[in-house]
Amino acid sequence: MGAIVNLNGTAHYVHWHFFLMSVPNVVVVVLMLAVFTVALFLRAPGARRPGGSR
Amino acid sequence: MSSWTERVREFGLRNLPPEKLLPDSQPAYMTSAIYLFGALTIGALVVIIASGMILALKGPAWWHVASVGHFVNSIHLWSVELFFFFMVIHLWGKFWMAAWRGGRARVWMTGAVAFLVAVPCAFTGYLSQQNFDSQWIATQGKDGINSLGVGAFFNALNFGQMYSYHILLLPLAVVAIVALHILLVRRHGIVPPIPLADSVGVAAPER
Amino acid sequence: MNRAGLSNAELNDAARNYDGPYRPYDIVKEVCVCTGVVALIALVLAIVFSSPDLPPSTIASWSRTMPTDFVTTALSELDGTSETATYGEPYNHQSAFVQKIWFIDLQKWLGVSHPVNAAYDFVIEPLRMIPDDPSLQSAVSAYKDAPAKTQNAWTTAYSSALAKARAKLDGPVTVPAGTYGPVAPMMSSLLALAQSGGLDGDLLTNKQFFQTDYTKPLLFLEDGNALNDRATYQHLQGTQWGMMNETGSYPGQVWLWLYTFWYQVQIGGLGNSPNVDAIVMAIMGVLSLAFILIPFLPGIRSIPRRIPIYKLIWRDWYASTESTPDAGPPPGRAPATR
Repeated sequence: MGAIVNLNGTAHYVHWHFFLMSVPNVVVVVLMLAVFTVALFLRAPGARRPGGSR
Repeated sequence: MSSWTERVREFGLRNLPPEKLLPDSQPAYMTSAIYLFGALTIGALVVIIASGMILALKGPAWWHVASVGHFVNSIHLWSVELFFFFMVIHLWGKFWMAAWRGGRARVWMTGAVAFLVAVPCAFTGYLSQQNFDSQWIATQGKDGINSLGVGAFFNALNFGQMYSYHILLLPLAVVAIVALHILLVRRHGIVPPIPLADSVGVAAPER
Repeated sequence: MNRAGLSNAELNDAARNYDGPYRPYDIVKEVCVCTGVVALIALVLAIVFSSPDLPPSTIASWSRTMPTDFVTTALSELDGTSETATYGEPYNHQSAFVQKIWFIDLQKWLGVSHPVNAAYDFVIEPLRMIPDDPSLQSAVSAYKDAPAKTQNAWTTAYSSALAKARAKLDGPVTVPAGTYGPVAPMMSSLLALAQSGGLDGDLLTNKQFFQTDYTKPLLFLEDGNALNDRATYQHLQGTQWGMMNETGSYPGQVWLWLYTFWYQVQIGGLGNSPNVDAIVMAIMGVLSLAFILIPFLPGIRSIPRRIPIYKLIWRDWYASTESTPDAGPPPGRAPATR
């Protein structure tokens, strides 16, 4: 319905031994791990090294 | 003897004075971007509730017959995905910080319970869709629910009951637990860093 | 083992209060900005991807596209061999799908709270409501009044005949000639009722006009293959990690991974156990409790200290304090109020 990218087609799957996950779900998991990792390295906006006071 | 009102007020003020409830400063160790994910989870919950309220205004069949309704349903579905996305990253961050330290066990516990209550709240949402997906989830989910006798009073095949749980009872539960979680965070403050081995001092006996 | 030199109790004491420097922070702005950012992301995702909405199966659509499957299912409801007819609590007193763990039989103890009599609810009562068909009503009465052995002979013969049935989409099911008693006219009338859409309504509203309980039509649909075939195509079956999946190529419920995991792995033959649902629920209950109680679980609560991801998170803080290891944090602006 009016979507720019139509996701109603059949999904592809990642199949390894008994592990079977749809590609969209794999994308979500990979994104979560990536965002978590990046967040560990980034500083929050407005934060700076607490070398002294502001 | 003080009144109930005075006791409640004093309890509130003692545990959450205004400067703790709405502080304008934060500990200097809070520089990491990982600290944003609690607020992002709250943001997602706000969008879920707002889009859900619009869907509730027009009733459960609206999104099948009106393109605006379908659009609002899409926002509701994606904000649920975002809610779990940010909540789990928030959970990972708090685990690796051992954020339950220093008397903050209840903060961790309320957070865990919030996740565990959000799952059935989402489940009843999927059951409320009134489409093929909800038919399948209902007929499959009933076996697990029945296996522990819960099917005697929680019938996944009863759309009216599932819809009531989804738009009222479980969101209230989620919001109540999240509110308690946030108030506990404000009460105890954000957990300080784990002391580095070098900066601690003499090794203490193992306990 | 305690390489860091602090016991769990000492670690807790050290974390109870913080007396070091603060910096300005706008909590209300942070929550507002985060809400705005999430709203924007959700909006963009909704515009780009929309959301799935596969139309539901109905008994009408099922009986029209799969007439033989419909009749086979209806027969199994009549002769008491369908999943619903043999299920057990909370629908009836059978036991084919009643699960328990050891002696704990909650499903049975909580009783028949949603009674379903498959033969009557799905076949006999709907047929009884068809007006102006005296020969059909005689057939239904003949079936009801016959002894069980005779009923069984009719349904068994018809069931075997269905294996050689011919059917047209939207049309009747034709079986080879045989001795089926009243079963044959009952089944063909029920099929016609279903194909007209009347059975969807009958199963939902025959007891009350306003109804939101779809127990009966859903149980009847599930007993056949209409939902099953669509689910297999959409990868929603339990054997396909289906609990985590959404229809089409949409992301699904990834957070259910651990719940569905136990159905996929054959630990001790769990996947084939008749009590698999109850056992998995129990496992998840225990794990959920452990999840809540992590702060109290020795070993588990020490993992963050042993795998020091925290050194990344607080690297700025450690860098600013390492020059004075025993003196504590450097002086800074104390908050206006604490």
